[in-house]
Amino acid sequence: MPAVKKTVDSVEALERYQHGFITTVDQEFAPKGLSADIVRFISAKKQEPEWMLEWRLAAYERWLAMDEPDWAKVSFPKIDYQDSYYYAAPKEKIGPMSLDEVDPEILATYAKLGIPLREQEVLAGVQGAPKYAVDAVFDSVSVVTTFKKELAAVGVIFCSFSEAVREHPELVKKYLGTVVPASDNYFACLNSAVFSDGSFVYVPPGVRCPMELSTYFRINAAESGQFERTLIIADKGAYVSYLEGCTAPMRDENQLHAAVVELVTLDDAEIKYSTVQNWYPGDPETGKGGIYNFVTKRADCRGDRSKVSWTQVETGSAITWKYPSCVLRGKDSVGEFYSIAITNGRQQADTGTKMIHLGEGTRSRIISKGISAGRSSNTYRGLVSAHPKAKGARNFTQCDSLLIGKTCAAHTVPYIEARNGQSVFEHEATTTRLSDDQLFYVMQRGLSQEEAVQLLVNGFVKDVLQELPMEFAVEAQKLVAISLEGSVG
Amino acid sequence: MTLSLALEARDLSQLPSRRDEDWRWTDLRGLIRELPAPSPEATADVSAGPFGTEGEAELLVVNGRVCGDAGLLVLREGEARVVRLRFVSATAATGHGVKLAVSLAPGAHLTLLESYEGQAPDYLVDAALNVRLETGARLERVVLAGDHAEGVSVSTASVSLAPGADFAQTVLTDGARRQRLETRVEHPGESAVVRMDGAYLIADRRHADLTTAVNHSGTDGTTDQLVKGVVADQGRGVFQGRITVSPGADRTDARMGHHALLLSDRAEVNAKPELLIFADDVACAHGNTVGALDEDALFYAQQRGIPEAEARAMLTEAFIGEVIDRIVHNGAREVARAWAAKRRVG
Repeated sequence: MPAVKKTVDSVEALERYQHGFITTVDQEFAPKGLSADIVRFISAKKQEPEWMLEWRLAAYERWLAMDEPDWAKVSFPKIDYQDSYYYAAPKEKIGPMSLDEVDPEILATYAKLGIPLREQEVLAGVQGAPKYAVDAVFDSVSVVTTFKKELAAVGVIFCSFSEAVREHPELVKKYLGTVVPASDNYFACLNSAVFSDGSFVYVPPGVRCPMELSTYFRINAAESGQFERTLIIADKGAYVSYLEGCTAPMRDENQLHAAVVELVTLDDAEIKYSTVQNWYPGDPETGKGGIYNFVTKRADCRGDRSKVSWTQVETGSAITWKYPSCVLRGKDSVGEFYSIAITNGRQQADTGTKMIHLGEGTRSRIISKGISAGRSSNTYRGLVSAHPKAKGARNFTQCDSLLIGKTCAAHTVPYIEARNGQSVFEHEATTTRLSDDQLFYVMQRGLSQEEAVQLLVNGFVKDVLQELPMEFAVEAQKLVAISLEGSVG
Repeated sequence: MTLSLALEARDLSQLPSRRDEDWRWTDLRGLIRELPAPSPEATADVSAGPFGTEGEAELLVVNGRVCGDAGLLVLREGEARVVRLRFVSATAATGHGVKLAVSLAPGAHLTLLESYEGQAPDYLVDAALNVRLETGARLERVVLAGDHAEGVSVSTASVSLAPGADFAQTVLTDGARRQRLETRVEHPGESAVVRMDGAYLIADRRHADLTTAVNHSGTDGTTDQLVKGVVADQGRGVFQGRITVSPGADRTDARMGHHALLLSDRAEVNAKPELLIFADDVACAHGNTVGALDEDALFYAQQRGIPEAEARAMLTEAFIGEVIDRIVHNGAREVARAWAAKRRVG
């Protein structure tokens, strides 16, 4: 089992959080706080057309009238929305630029994170290694997007969101906010007002995107939040696999990350969306610092026989609060959700999915594996619902929770709403701890306790790991090991 | 926010609404536009309740007023008794609340045959039962909720157990205009045993909500729960089950199952089986299924010469039968079986 071997190898090279460094780079900030003027400032910085500014301002008005939700099983001091920077960007010109123009410090940052920004570096890798294009978002701006030419040759648009607003306004206008409306929820509404950058992908009809696309989000600036927006459209019969990664420096303050991701699949299209979330989780002992990850992710399977598959590995963040969802509108459309959520230290996670069956013959599958250790709390919350018209809808849900230690918590809160007599929903959940017998057996074979735990945990999450694209699977496996470090003994 | 508060204070804003997480599927504020007049004293026809003459004593509550001997619900050490407890709502378009306490001394054994009888439409009832079981006491509670199709009723039982107590209940209902049957159990662990079953058979436009919450606070506790439901026409069934295992409640064994059949295209089932676990040495699981009758089983039955309607009825009865078979008291089990047979909603 090479995968397991990989984990065991990586154990020795562990650090607590490897991406906690800070990059010193000249940055430009919007004044602290949030007001209509800040919204205008961001829009002006992005050189946005009037309609985009109006959209933002309308969202801001609505946000002012909304109350912050409090139903999740997470607790944190009240966020002061006026005490944060809503725009932070490296002092460079905005817009498309060549790699040579990017601040070398930033390039060094991505090199340190292991993200290839130079196309030749990707190509210089092992022969036959899969290629993937990267959109690198640094605080509030996208610094570079690779392989754009090669992608454009087959008609795939892959660019930063601000570029899409300028270059492809008709597509943005047509799809923006149609999956997650500006007023959807408190954090999505905030994002709609102040979002700064993110990725935009359009795959034209019948095109199978020739490489994996990925966006790498990095929060660097202090006292700032990151509010990116991602919009991916797979036109009829198209296919794209998209990866998202994220890290942040170790800081004593909490930083808000409130992103919105919208996916649209038309007839026979498929999007595979994978996330390895590794935001700074805060200090494991004191719980100080770390990212608040309050994200709205939703896919609209508009077309018949379309498919969206979410795979997520959640290891970071002080607080995770997100539910990647599928609205299964098209006939026979399919939604999948595979998740590993690991909490350690004082992390809190309330995460899961929503599968909303609207169309006939729609199917969904949810596999969720939650692991809690330390003094953390890990909640699976999921909704499966079938509309009266969703005849023949099917869902299978499996949620397993694993507890490591006496001071952590694991919760399972599924919601099932069935509104017609021809749908079939099955849900099963278990909560257990690592079996002493298994641990004993593995340790008897010569593994240390920590290695034994990691081996068993890798077995526990195997169903989800195998859904990840290859290059992510390896990273995810390392992350599992890192996240659980110090959880036993 | 509770119905009883709203009735006491005569204040509509005290009614729970869908914005209250625990009431998201049983909205009272949206339903009740004005609070009805308080129920008058009434002499209802109380000849025989759904449990007939099972048991040896009866405690009758008509329009919220206790008519029988309330002392029947206090059992001395080692005492054993089978008691019928009947809540009768006799007057249309009125509302009332009632609170009763049940207390079992160490080693006492009570079989409580509880019925809700709606004799007139449009009533609003809130019944609260406070139950205490001392060490080694045993209570089997069988509830038959026979509310009026146009009645609105909320029944809440709060149960606290001493170590070694044994609490078992089966709640059977065919719904009402809006109905909630809620049970909250404080489970001390330490060999106390809880069984919390339920069945709902809902047709027309009725609504039934079975909500339970069990909180395990000590080690070595057991909870076993099986709830099944069949919903036809435009009926709506709600199941909310929460099992909490508090820090330190090690070796808790908790299992929850909820299974529902939807027999029409407009029937609805909403379920939320929750596990909240704060201890690591536990075995907790829940299963939840919602679907239609098994076509293969139907086909098989028809192939053996059983007409479709009858085959459906047979299959649903067998489905619910699993819950009824777990009732320990023989008489109550037979009453429950007859109840289920009469309400075949196939």
